[in-house]
Amino acid sequence: MSEIAFFGAVEIGLVYALVALGVYLSFRVLDFPDLTVDGSFPLGAAVCATLLVAGVNPWIASLSAALAGSMAGLVTATLNVRFKILHLLASILTMIALFSVNLRVMGRPNVALLMQDTVLTPFYGLGLPDHVVRPLVVLVVVVAVVLLLSRFLNSEFGLAMRATGVNARMARAQGVQTDFHIYAGMALSNGLCALAGALFAQTNGFADVTTGIGTIVVGLAAVIVGETVLPARAMLWALVGCVVGSILYRLAVQLALSADAIGLQASDLNLVTAVLVAVALILPRMRLKAASKKREAVR
Amino acid sequence: MITVNGIHVTFGRGTPLEKHALRGVDLTIPEGQFVTVIGSNGAGKSTFLGALAGDVIAEEGSIAIDGVDVTRWATPKRAALVARVFQDPMVGSCTALTIEENMALAAARGRRRGLGFALRGDRRRHFRERIAELGLGLENRLHDRMGLLSGGQRQAVSLLMATLAGSKILLLDEHTAALDPGTAEFVLGLTRRIVEENRLTTLMVTHSMRQALDYGDRTVMLHEGRIVLDVSGEQRAGLDVPHLLALFAKQRGGEDITDDSLLIG
Repeated sequence: MSEIAFFGAVEIGLVYALVALGVYLSFRVLDFPDLTVDGSFPLGAAVCATLLVAGVNPWIASLSAALAGSMAGLVTATLNVRFKILHLLASILTMIALFSVNLRVMGRPNVALLMQDTVLTPFYGLGLPDHVVRPLVVLVVVVAVVLLLSRFLNSEFGLAMRATGVNARMARAQGVQTDFHIYAGMALSNGLCALAGALFAQTNGFADVTTGIGTIVVGLAAVIVGETVLPARAMLWALVGCVVGSILYRLAVQLALSADAIGLQASDLNLVTAVLVAVALILPRMRLKAASKKREAVR
Repeated sequence: MITVNGIHVTFGRGTPLEKHALRGVDLTIPEGQFVTVIGSNGAGKSTFLGALAGDVIAEEGSIAIDGVDVTRWATPKRAALVARVFQDPMVGSCTALTIEENMALAAARGRRRGLGFALRGDRRRHFRERIAELGLGLENRLHDRMGLLSGGQRQAVSLLMATLAGSKILLLDEHTAALDPGTAEFVLGLTRRIVEENRLTTLMVTHSMRQALDYGDRTVMLHEGRIVLDVSGEQRAGLDVPHLLALFAKQRGGEDITDDSLLIG
């Protein structure tokens, strides 16, 4: 793997670390399997790119993208909480709808950002090569998000959100407005995914309506890899695990794709991802089975 | 104080499985009274408790707690006034959270939950002191996940959690039914102590006539969604399980008791 390929993998891993954190919030904290992210990631890219082309400040454009993502999360949460649609289906409905919304936002299937100022522009030309600057800037954003999110989940409000996901009945009996916490958590989760989309558009120089496909699987892969390499109970370390998982996952994919002997090409990415996630989900079960068999053998 | 006025609850209205679970229950519990509720399966005990807690909304009648009409309040809102321990230790606590996190969750009952740390140093110390009172050695396990505790330990912690936010009403839903006899005895003793120390107005649903007479100061029997027996004071002090059974049979018009579980335990 070349140096540029390595930094490229780290950069994309860091961008998707924000997706992983969002997915951690919905899947793990709220226990809400949310596929909205396949729509909110490109929504973030679309909103950010459109605003940048219109000459808006890059940071404001990125924040607007995050806000748009939060709205998408609220739509899914409303469908589920208010109208009792199954969470999985509710999120698929929002995701499908967002495909059209994203086309409307951009007015065309993709927007190029080649000459636009981005959040990265001020940091280019400070002496570091561009392919190092990009992951560094994203790293700063990710570290800030991890610290804020950890602080949030350890607050009284955040603890109530975690309780909502673990045991909603008990949470309600303790006075937690569980519905409200689902709204808040889903908004936060999809806001993070949209922010990832905005950073993706700015680091790659384009927004495309199809970039969302498989985002959820990539996010989930990162969460699972993170939990495997960094099994932690403290909130901060669980979140760091998501980030580490995301980077490791990207490096593994990069390695697989650049090893000519295996004969994979870039278009095989989604297949590789799906297989990886499936294996990661199956392995712990197999290990359990093996362990119980061993115990029986001892008897 | 709890004032219940003619509440009715029907499940599955308009379906073939329609069940009129509560048919006009009236009950006034003065402050500090410990009432035990007994009745056979399907008598409406759990529904009654659910109606008080807000899980079930009464379609007729009214419920007032300390003079406030809470008939239409949902569970989270009522939780400010009412503490609760569930039958299933798994339901009453968050197994994936630590003991101290569970306690912090309960301590904030009825308060707005802000962005301040849920577990500050002074709170941790307070939790440690309180849990030491249980005498189970749990003060050194505050960082353990709740799921690692035994059923009895979890019910003990749940009882303690019920007192952390300082509400004056405690609802116990067969909270010893899932425990072995020895542990149940311990949890019941703890219940009595906590109720007395905090002078809680308590409603304890139980399956056992023995428990219903041994604990508390008043016993109420539900049958087919109505209160059929209400004894307290001297009348209750002179009662034994066979008497209670006879009274019960009389109330039901000479019907024999067919639910064995009422007699056992």
